[in-house]
Amino acid sequence: MYSIDRKFVALNVVLLVGAIAFLSVSESTYVTQLIVWSAINAVLAAGMRFVLLIGETNMACGAIYGFAAYLTAIGVTNGFDAVPLVVTIAALGGGVLGLLFGWVTLRVKGPYFMLIGFAFTEVIRLAYTRIDYVGGNSGMVGIYAPISLDRWMPAICVAVCYLLVIGFFAAEKSSFGSLMHAVRNNDKVVETLGVSALRVKLVCFVIAAVAVGAAGSIHAYSYHVISPGDFSFLIPVYALAYAKVGGERHVVGPVIGAIFLTVISQLVQGSGALQYVLFGGVIIVSMIGVRGGLIDIAKWVRCRYRIGGARLRVLKDPASGELG
Amino acid sequence: MALFVQLALNTLQAGSVYVLFALGLTLIFGVMGVVNFAHGQFFALGALLTSVLVPALHDSLGGSVAIAFVLSSVISIIVVLALAAAAYQFGFRRYLRDMVGSFILSVGMLLFFEGLFLWIFGGVPRVVPNIAPGELRILGAAIELQRLIVCAVAVAIGIMLYLMLGYTRFGRAVRATAEDAGAATLQGVRHKRTLLYGFMVGSFLAAVSGCLTAPLAVITPSVGNDYLIKGFVTIIIGGLGSIPGAIIGGFAIALLESVVGYYLDGTMATIGMFCVVAVLLLFRPRGMLGHVQH
Repeated sequence: MYSIDRKFVALNVVLLVGAIAFLSVSESTYVTQLIVWSAINAVLAAGMRFVLLIGETNMACGAIYGFAAYLTAIGVTNGFDAVPLVVTIAALGGGVLGLLFGWVTLRVKGPYFMLIGFAFTEVIRLAYTRIDYVGGNSGMVGIYAPISLDRWMPAICVAVCYLLVIGFFAAEKSSFGSLMHAVRNNDKVVETLGVSALRVKLVCFVIAAVAVGAAGSIHAYSYHVISPGDFSFLIPVYALAYAKVGGERHVVGPVIGAIFLTVISQLVQGSGALQYVLFGGVIIVSMIGVRGGLIDIAKWVRCRYRIGGARLRVLKDPASGELG
Repeated sequence: MALFVQLALNTLQAGSVYVLFALGLTLIFGVMGVVNFAHGQFFALGALLTSVLVPALHDSLGGSVAIAFVLSSVISIIVVLALAAAAYQFGFRRYLRDMVGSFILSVGMLLFFEGLFLWIFGGVPRVVPNIAPGELRILGAAIELQRLIVCAVAVAIGIMLYLMLGYTRFGRAVRATAEDAGAATLQGVRHKRTLLYGFMVGSFLAAVSGCLTAPLAVITPSVGNDYLIKGFVTIIIGGLGSIPGAIIGGFAIALLESVVGYYLDGTMATIGMFCVVAVLLLFRPRGMLGHVQH
């Protein structure tokens, strides 16, 4: 059973309050938007990592993310002003879509599950282009929060994203998290103990889908305009890149990866073809140069600082072979 | 009758290129356990170089367009193979049998190469002159002569690959490595060399299908992405790592595209393609002929 570390709680409360305070007083729209985009991407990446804990790659998160964004757009353009209610309904909608998709497809695994998710994201995107009610290829516009909330929206969005990432961490450290690790290691052994591996996978997938749905809803509020092109297979691909570049070992890794790559993508925005070259180049260099992700660099630096120039002591987890 | 023959000819022509492309993908997956998203970029580079070189060589050397096309294809394939060797040596070699890691690396390469091609070749769509003017009429249906030639070349390369994998020492090494890399090594198969050659053969198929597509389609730096999605659908239908599966899947996709595309439209054909995959996986979780498990 996971015991709550007071230092951990205090640190997170301070960080959350600090972020809310900064976003509430910040005058720079660009900086606040960058923080909100980073937070949304962090939830996507943490959701991707959460499903990776059961040994599967969730390429369907692009479809769930887009579905929740469209639910939000439909709600807002039809006059629903209650932001918490809209975000909750969109998140639950994402969860229901995840439940249906997972119930059908989690019977297959590995590359098949990955590629069917990839196909699902593309088919849902194409479906939007055929539905006139959601604007077809043009998408939907005018997704604004009530004016009274306008100033507070960045802070609310980041706070929700922060709590979602913390929620992933808590779920991973719970007894259910242990079950997820067990399923990843060997689902047959889990079955012999009377636990349905499929049910564990499904619950994990639906938890991730609800969080990704909430992120999709925040995306709609944040961008104000959505179109089918926003929800292509690149969404899960980028989420996976954030998780890998940041490091999968800890939930903080995907958050670091998301912030790093979101900032990089903004820096190279508008440089035309070079934007792809630089973004792709960063992913390649990160994958070849730092296999454990950016979080391992941070850990390495921390170890070195503590040891104070003495020979670096590298701890190794005998079970996983990962650096500890 | 003419309509059915026309649809069958369209299926055969499109399917032969899809099959070549998918054979490369499935071979790389079977041997290395790598889901290679950069495969579409090798295809795109083959097509782009051909589309640039054919007019240039035709103008400078004279002679027929067909000769310029053959020369351009050879040069394009050599360049693609050099790029593929570099991608393997500096990247994929470190992520063998790591599906997620190699996938992310290949996505990085996809973005990098797409940007690079956009920068070098520009975004303007390119068209290759007709390599064999004229058309043939079969049972009332018409097919361009160049499409027939492309189809014949694709089928010939497919048969050569099948024979090579089935009856040569290299083919047996590749199949043994795909089945069980450890056991293959114990039997004297040179593991690393087989993986490299397997990757190169897969990339060669991407380059060839790109060159063959160049005279038939409008070529842009993002042309590889469409083929990549279809290629993945093809190998899911056929079964990952299965050579006969890729052939069946390629023609199944082309048939669906031709028929649904004719009666409805291209978007519905793509949606239908994904629906077929979803239903198929419910009943055959490893595709029609899939047997490789990683």
